[in-house]
Amino acid sequence: MTGKNEDPGSSSTPTDTTMSSKSSVQRLPPPEKPEAVWTRFKIIAAFWAVIVFLGFPIWWKTTSIYRARLPVQEMVEWADGKTCRPVFPLEIRFETPSLPDSEAQHLLRTTQHTLDDLNEFSAHHLRLKLSEDTLAANNRDERQLHITTDGKADTALIVRLLPQDDLTSPRSELHLDTTQLDVYYPPSQIPPPSSSNPPLSAYIAGELQQLFTEEKAIIAQILSDNNAMGSTNTPASSNNQQPSRMLNSISPQLAETISRRLRRSMKYADTYHLAFSLFAPGSSPSSWDIQPAVDEYIAPLLHAFAPISNFTVDTQVQLYATFSPTAPPPEYDESQATWTLKQEDLSAFINAAEWPLSPSIGNGPTINFILYVPAPSQSPMVVKESSATSWIIPQWGGVFILNPPLSTATGAPSNPTHLSQASLGPAFLTFSHQLLTLLGAPATPTSLPFRLQTLIRIRAADLLLSASSTMGSLARLTESLPSIPIPAAVATSVSTTLSHLASACVHLREGRFQAALASARVAETEAERSFFEKSMVGQVYFPDEHKVAVYLPLLGPVGVPLIVGLLREIKRIVASWKARRAGS
Amino acid sequence: MAVDRKAAVFLAAHALRLLLALFFPSLPNLLTGRVEVSTPITSFKRLQEGLYLYQRNVSPYDGGVYHQAPILLPLFSLLPNANMSPLITAIFFSLVDLVNADALITIADSGQAVSGRFYTALRKHIRWDGLSIAAWFLFNPFTIATCLGRSTAVFTTTGILYAMSNAVSGNSLNAMLALGFASYLSIYPALLFIPLVLLCYDQRAQKPTPPGMASFAIKHFMIFLFSIAGLLGVSSLIVDDFPQFVSATYGFQLLVPDLTPNVGLWWYFFIEIFDSFREFFLGVFWLHLAAYVGGMTVRIRRQPLFVLTSLLGIFAIFKPYPSISDASLYFALLPLYRHLFPLMRYTFFAISAILYATLLGPAFYYLWIYAGSGNANFFYAITLVWSLGLSILLADIIFAALRDEWEYDNPEIRGKDVRQV
Repeated sequence: MTGKNEDPGSSSTPTDTTMSSKSSVQRLPPPEKPEAVWTRFKIIAAFWAVIVFLGFPIWWKTTSIYRARLPVQEMVEWADGKTCRPVFPLEIRFETPSLPDSEAQHLLRTTQHTLDDLNEFSAHHLRLKLSEDTLAANNRDERQLHITTDGKADTALIVRLLPQDDLTSPRSELHLDTTQLDVYYPPSQIPPPSSSNPPLSAYIAGELQQLFTEEKAIIAQILSDNNAMGSTNTPASSNNQQPSRMLNSISPQLAETISRRLRRSMKYADTYHLAFSLFAPGSSPSSWDIQPAVDEYIAPLLHAFAPISNFTVDTQVQLYATFSPTAPPPEYDESQATWTLKQEDLSAFINAAEWPLSPSIGNGPTINFILYVPAPSQSPMVVKESSATSWIIPQWGGVFILNPPLSTATGAPSNPTHLSQASLGPAFLTFSHQLLTLLGAPATPTSLPFRLQTLIRIRAADLLLSASSTMGSLARLTESLPSIPIPAAVATSVSTTLSHLASACVHLREGRFQAALASARVAETEAERSFFEKSMVGQVYFPDEHKVAVYLPLLGPVGVPLIVGLLREIKRIVASWKARRAGS
Repeated sequence: MAVDRKAAVFLAAHALRLLLALFFPSLPNLLTGRVEVSTPITSFKRLQEGLYLYQRNVSPYDGGVYHQAPILLPLFSLLPNANMSPLITAIFFSLVDLVNADALITIADSGQAVSGRFYTALRKHIRWDGLSIAAWFLFNPFTIATCLGRSTAVFTTTGILYAMSNAVSGNSLNAMLALGFASYLSIYPALLFIPLVLLCYDQRAQKPTPPGMASFAIKHFMIFLFSIAGLLGVSSLIVDDFPQFVSATYGFQLLVPDLTPNVGLWWYFFIEIFDSFREFFLGVFWLHLAAYVGGMTVRIRRQPLFVLTSLLGIFAIFKPYPSISDASLYFALLPLYRHLFPLMRYTFFAISAILYATLLGPAFYYLWIYAGSGNANFFYAITLVWSLGLSILLADIIFAALRDEWEYDNPEIRGKDVRQV
């Protein structure tokens, strides 16, 4: 740099060569020779040639921002809920082996009528349908297995109407292992074709309504949350009003159930990591039959959850795991001959500082299940207030205190060195229950397949709305920050998201919830990927003014002599050109 | 007699290097590990890694450690393992230094530094003979450290010095081949092509029937390109994966991905710069380096050898992975311009700054890396001082050269004070 400054400086006019004594006659430096002027011109031209022919192309190439075109309008419409109005038409099949077709049809019509009257939330409605084939009862299980493969809607529930002679009023029974509701009714109550509101219809409608109350409330909650978050400029249509009206009508207990579910359950993720940990304060037990226990109690559940999320399972055994020094120690309760933990101290039970419970294994949240075997001197250990041995830690995992029978073979009582599968049974039953809660399965009704199907619908709604709102955020982000780059990968992800959102919406409308969830999962993953694209967010907080700070410190000092040299040279050329014109 | 004096100087230099390596066996390895001596593109340790892979028929560029030209690999395969017999390697590097010194003697004795085709310095009687300059080069602590540190930058130095010595003795073909060799090893010597071809042309023009300037330049440019292409062809025989070799050596030198501290100015800047501006400033830094060539060549057209010397000084300051070996090359060429020393104004300040940086640099590096009581700014500050010292020296001698030319052009004001207003 200095070398360059020297060039024009020492060769040009400012090099004033006067005598050291000022008193002597002031002599001007000898006039510049034409060759010197020409040389200076060439030097300046050489520097500027590099700048113009190499510098500017490099500047243009390296700082231009690639912005792929995004379908912003479409994305905003998705976020505002204009493109898709999620609806949940649940198909319920009636099997009436003992009723003639016309009576069954009539019963169905009246029940549907009653149901429609009861329902104040039109997005979620039940569609009753008579099983078309009489053989249905026989191959029902088979059909349930591949509900998603054909184009037909999923069957949410099968209602079997069975006459029973010794009844005075109808009664119903929900199967625990299938989505089937058996309704027993006295044959006398079969409605005559004339009656418009027979009691049997009213009963069935009431039962169905009851079964779906929690699901309906949760979905209403999700939809209304989304509307509340969504843009305020959307006119409050009847569709938007509905969820809140629905929410206003639910009972306080139900509201409490819903909010508790939200508090406890993990945020949805595509993959969960389950970590089963055995902690013991001493040297035993040092092994457990974890593989058969997981296969027996957890794997079937995970298989059932497969449409909703993926799971990985990790296990560990940690010996000599002590309580945190600040945690209150368990107290001995003489009356029950147990060591007790106070309920309010349970939050300090996990020694987060020392127990190796890594917050994340790979990509996705970890759900921790802790099996704690207390020291023989503190066994058995229970929770003081309830005598319970397990509790759930909201959005984190579950704890089970296992008090195995102590062996006194070697004198002092000691824990068994190995935990057999049988002794792990209660713990893993509890864990599987806790897992259901942590994954957000609704508390009612009792049938597990039913709850899983409900969860599929809830998650589909959830993901559809969350992916839509991510699209809206991405659109707003790219609109408000015109300086951030948009890589082509983001545009691809956005188009994948939008197409899967559309197909999820169609699947929902036609009642294929499992297919809808599959599409919504893809949409959510792609939406997150596009929103959190690394190269895009890198410059979010980089306003244009900062570029001055980037360019000036280096390019300023380099540029000033170059620009001044250029200006002076231009001035000289213009002056000589004018002089020549004046002369001629 | 002259031969005897030369032999004595060379033997003394050779013996000094060997004795240092013999009596301080840990010294070569210590110097090899110093960031001031070894950069990622010249490190002997990395060369050994590449050599190990090469001898086991693995691509030397696998693993991303080796970034030097493949032609060094068969050469060093001939030498015994440096860990087993360090003395042989020390002798080899010492001989390379002597070869460099020999080229330096040729350059100095040609007298090109004081009188060329267009220009003869006014103070041409103030000069050192070639042997003194060679001794100055051979006993320069920077040169000795580079030699003991076994930096492969000495081969680039050899290429550059032989290009210059062949050019001043009118052997323009060999000059181009040597420059091609240097450019093949590390890209930046290619920037010396223009002044070097001018130097060759000036030599040729003094002989009868000079060719045209343009055809001469084009012809030599083709020779230069062919020499590089030939070396690349030989390289493709040595390594199987040619694109990998190019990206691991030239890509590495151009894109500067390894920001290990060194005595240069790039590493700290590219640690701090925002990622999105990295490419842009890479372009700026390289253009900055290249931009001097045109201006300097035009301005000091009458002394192409001086342009070459000054450009080497600029490269020692501003190239991406400089080390003290670049500075030692510049210091080796400076005494050619002994006649300009009386015109220099800031020699004391420049030499103080360089000495200050030389002594404090290792101390601050120690504070930062080992003691942990300093931070990166300590070392960066000292590299700034080092670059400042070199810049002052460079600017001062360019000023002195211009002043010399000015007095030559304006004989009536010789010996007057100059004052800048």
